[in-house]
Amino acid sequence: MPELDRRHFMKLVGVGAGAAATAACSDPVEKLVPYVVQPEVITPGIALEYASTCTECSTNCGLHVRTREGRPIKLDGNPEHPINRGALCARGQAAIARPYLPQRYEAPTKRNADGSTQKATWAEAEAAVVAKLRSAGGRTWVLGGQVGPSLSGVIDGWVSAVGGGRVVYEPFAYEALREAAAWVFGVRALPIFDLSETDLIVDFGSNFLEAGPSPVEGMRQFTDARDIAKHSDGGARLISLSPRLTLTGANSDQWLAPKPGSEGPIALALAAVLYRGGARTGGDDAAVGRLLSGVDSKALAAEAGLDPEEFDALAKKLQKAKAAVALPPGVAATTSGGTSAAAAVLVLNALLGANGRAMQIPSSDTAGAPDTLQAVKELIARMQSGDVDVLVIHDANPIYSLPPSAGFAEALKKVGLVVSTATLPDETSVEADWVLPQSTSFESWGDAEPRPGLRSVVQPTLRPIHDTKSLGDIFLDTGRAVGAHVASKIPGGSFREVVETAFSDSDFRSVLAVGGDFSAAPPAAVSVGAGVSQIQTGPPTLAGDGDFTLVAYPHPYQGDGSGSDLPWAQETPDPVTKLSWSSWVEMSLGTAAELGVTFGDVVAVETPSGKIELSVMPRGGIRDDVIAIPIGGGHTQSHYGSLSGEGSVGVARGANVISILPDAVGEGGGRAWLSSRARVSRTGRFARLALSQWTDNQYERGFAQKVSLAALLQDDEKHHGEEHLAEGGEAHEGGHDFALPYDPANDSSPDSPYRWGMTIDTDRCTGCSACVVACSIENNVPVVGEEQAIRHREMTWLRIDRFVGDGEVSGGRERRPFPDRERLGDSDVRHSPMLCQQCGSAPCESVCPPIATYHSDEGINGMIYNRCIGTRYCANNCTYDVRRFNYFDYSRENWPGELPFMLNPDVTVRGQGVMEKCMFCVQRINGARQTAKNEGRLIADGEVVTACQQSCPSQAISFGNTKDKKSEVVVKADDDARSYIALHVLNTRPAVTYLAAVGRDEDGRSHG
Amino acid sequence: MKNAGRGSGLAFGRRAGGTFIALSLAALVGVLDRDAGAEASSGEDHGPVQVATSVCDAQRLKAAKENDPHLQIEIPAEYNQQWPSLSACVAHEEAWDPEAPGPIQPIPFSHKHHAGEFGIDCQYCHSGTDRSRAAGVPSVELCMGCHAQFPPSYDELTGIRILKEHWEEKKPIEWNQIYRLPEHVKFRHNRHVAAGLECQRCHGPVEKIDKLYLVPDTFWWYGVPVKKPEMGWCIECHRSNDHQASQDCLTCHY
Repeated sequence: MPELDRRHFMKLVGVGAGAAATAACSDPVEKLVPYVVQPEVITPGIALEYASTCTECSTNCGLHVRTREGRPIKLDGNPEHPINRGALCARGQAAIARPYLPQRYEAPTKRNADGSTQKATWAEAEAAVVAKLRSAGGRTWVLGGQVGPSLSGVIDGWVSAVGGGRVVYEPFAYEALREAAAWVFGVRALPIFDLSETDLIVDFGSNFLEAGPSPVEGMRQFTDARDIAKHSDGGARLISLSPRLTLTGANSDQWLAPKPGSEGPIALALAAVLYRGGARTGGDDAAVGRLLSGVDSKALAAEAGLDPEEFDALAKKLQKAKAAVALPPGVAATTSGGTSAAAAVLVLNALLGANGRAMQIPSSDTAGAPDTLQAVKELIARMQSGDVDVLVIHDANPIYSLPPSAGFAEALKKVGLVVSTATLPDETSVEADWVLPQSTSFESWGDAEPRPGLRSVVQPTLRPIHDTKSLGDIFLDTGRAVGAHVASKIPGGSFREVVETAFSDSDFRSVLAVGGDFSAAPPAAVSVGAGVSQIQTGPPTLAGDGDFTLVAYPHPYQGDGSGSDLPWAQETPDPVTKLSWSSWVEMSLGTAAELGVTFGDVVAVETPSGKIELSVMPRGGIRDDVIAIPIGGGHTQSHYGSLSGEGSVGVARGANVISILPDAVGEGGGRAWLSSRARVSRTGRFARLALSQWTDNQYERGFAQKVSLAALLQDDEKHHGEEHLAEGGEAHEGGHDFALPYDPANDSSPDSPYRWGMTIDTDRCTGCSACVVACSIENNVPVVGEEQAIRHREMTWLRIDRFVGDGEVSGGRERRPFPDRERLGDSDVRHSPMLCQQCGSAPCESVCPPIATYHSDEGINGMIYNRCIGTRYCANNCTYDVRRFNYFDYSRENWPGELPFMLNPDVTVRGQGVMEKCMFCVQRINGARQTAKNEGRLIADGEVVTACQQSCPSQAISFGNTKDKKSEVVVKADDDARSYIALHVLNTRPAVTYLAAVGRDEDGRSHG
Repeated sequence: MKNAGRGSGLAFGRRAGGTFIALSLAALVGVLDRDAGAEASSGEDHGPVQVATSVCDAQRLKAAKENDPHLQIEIPAEYNQQWPSLSACVAHEEAWDPEAPGPIQPIPFSHKHHAGEFGIDCQYCHSGTDRSRAAGVPSVELCMGCHAQFPPSYDELTGIRILKEHWEEKKPIEWNQIYRLPEHVKFRHNRHVAAGLECQRCHGPVEKIDKLYLVPDTFWWYGVPVKKPEMGWCIECHRSNDHQASQDCLTCHY
């Protein structure tokens, strides 16, 4: 027998392997592409976090950007940042998509005379702009949003050298509040509120939990101030004044619905009562006395539509409170008299003793603070008269966010050269002659100064995906090219060096590690000055003579419309109406009945400035004389914000309410958002809205429970007398009387040291939905789009259920098409985060034919995607409706372009026909297990933080091992008076324990 | 902290040169290729003078002459080089052998030459395997850390020229993946390294293979033929190991 040498052996084996390969050739050949030069810090497979700053809104929360192999995949709050302390709102989370959006400008773009566009190189683009700048002769203007102090300094230097001017334009500039601080305290700045030590918060329409200048911080301080564990009396009470039930109203203990725009007069009336009761500001009390002496409190309250008893009760509460604070009107409540209203609230605060405690006035405004609408209008007039040769527009979309009557679009045509630095095509940038696309904040250096002295750094975490430049470098490069006279007025080097120089007083590396320089000194004390005499008491000026006051309010995730590009800002249901993807008009149930319209009927809303058509969302929680429309919809240009990204050119999704607002300028030159009346008429058409929750009735099933404070104080022995069953409470005592509580710790393998569980404190949950977005991004949950959302095919693993009261089992099983249990003045809204309960006795597991879902050793209800054949039996049998089915390849279809780069590589992307659901972030558990195993120990308490838990601004969620009796999750759940299990009568034995909300309303106002 | 996306660090390669020259010398002394030897000895009548046409050819002739001192060989001065060694030449050829199993890679890289003959530790190139879920494929820079110090005569090998081309153009090498797990499997290399598993346990005797291929390791698992790296193959090990390794679905599927 000839010897089988190596080569022959290989040949034989090769035939075998080849045959095997042919048999299994369905897998495409994948490429392994390693680095050319591997950066020292990067190990493929290990995530790196960088401290940075969120630039979605002017709050500028601190970020930890989690990156994998050089791509940001998740945004978490920076725990060291004093504003957000580790939490991040829904919009901030959604911003992860920004650098990867499919419609980004990929290179400098020139618009030809015939409207067509062509790409160009930076050299060509800058040469064209620089040539025009040289000849513009001091008639160059920069119009842009608020940017960090370093960038602001560069732009100021650039403008002064090329000659011209600069207007900082933010749609939500809080001009009224800044001006009010100038009137009352002599400092033009945004007051800073600290609610954590208060005992009464009166919200004069700031809607601080949803919109406000700093919602994440507000939520943290608000829930801390009423932490039931620390404050046995229930802590701070919240009274909300608003014509519609906002998220703040839904979390309040009392909701008052005075006439829109009457917040200022009510604050003044209350101030007068306090002043007459002997309260003083400690400042120029003579001026305050003069102001308040003429105030007829009762008349003002009556005019505002407040019941005299309600007003007296409110005044008494304020007088009784030891640490009360009043919050000034926000965007939606800013009228033509907005400055007076805000100033009245500031005076009220001074009388309440909140000045210097719960309210602090910085000694100056931040660098590059926004200018007023008046300044913008002056620029428009200048453009109109042909006085502007070059207009540079950055970080702003004035054609969308200014009312058409302001005439910006027409004036733009008279500008010699319009340069936009937009990253994404928007309504304004498509009109620009040149687009010099700036990099996103994930790709550029920068800084931010959300508060005077508090400096936060923006560091790039992604190499620019397209041929873009950071805004700072665009200004520096063009400035130097114009000539030496400009170069001498702007800093040398790249913009990165400018940022480094800005932090030169501390070690830049440690600044980058921490995320900024947070050592701001507390502002000096200020006192009330004579400027209070400017406060007026008149009712707001409203344009038009319609029946309804039009309230335009900021969409919680889309803000002024700049957030509507983000897929998750569109898909996440609005926390109040539970609507997504479109715009809607809220009106009261009575108004809708009178008009003969119901949910989804399209009505025309007409003001003197224009007309828009949108679908109706009837609500109980809105005044009859008010209609409300969210700001943010009606884009014609972005991929997700409009329908144009789906093929139809220039078609808006929803309607832009700004287009029917007058360009009203209020006191102090600020923008008056509450400035118009409207007529509403039927159109006869119907356009279904994507409503994620069809009822707010919980039919007494106790999903979201509430315990009255009185009951809690009496040490309510809700569970007293019930025996803890040793082996988990299977004993059936007849009817619905299952013994509770059982111990979830029994529902995992006896060999396993873990049974993962969660405790959700619904008393802390505000319903903000940050967790929903955090969960979706961590777990690669796709957006499904408007059409699929209308069909109820949303994929979010975690949702916030919103109920009003305990609900009632009404006669019959009438199914209402929309939530209708809100009532005017009733704030008993319950929020209940609903996610897979990881049942110990799960109904889904027993019905799965291929055993794709099963109970893991550690008590997690595992969902094995590759085993799933899509029968959907499990979803049918799920008690909690938390299983989600991929009817289509959503992840492939709805994440075009570079968007898949934001996917978390630690989690499988599910395809069509596969069921999916929450698994308690098992990838994070497995990650922590790895560390623990390497160190030869068990996973410690607090080591696994789920995505929802991490993002929660009010820390409502605890997660941990229920077998560890000292773990936070067990300790918190051990609250006999408040803990409950969703649908416990079904004995599904969930691992999620809820803690009931606490009813702090003394007058017992609640359903059932 | 720097921008993670901008690769600017010089991570590896500083200490590589000296070690490698020593290693290659050792290999040259110790290694003789059996195939080349066999071919040379088969020519009994020494025939005409054989003229080397390349350094590799010269190395082969020199080796043949050592076996058969009567062989007539002529080595032009330009090919009378020490490098590339005979083993390098053979490995280079074998790694691109179209007859051998496995996909043709962009560079004829021989694991046998590097890991076997030179005995380079697996984790020298696949660094991070003990820390990360991913084994990591060496960067071009890491390859060049050694290869940049090699004499120019090495450029005779096509693979070396391709490598240098990638380095000069700063172009990554697109290797064909051989050991590939589906996306719904989350395998962690570091856990398996920490558990003391040999790389060869799953990847086969890579140090003996020139052209890498998926070493077939079919066995019968409950009457079903299971191949590497299919699930039964993973489970078999997880099960046999005295229940040290978890068999829970969520360990790997999530």
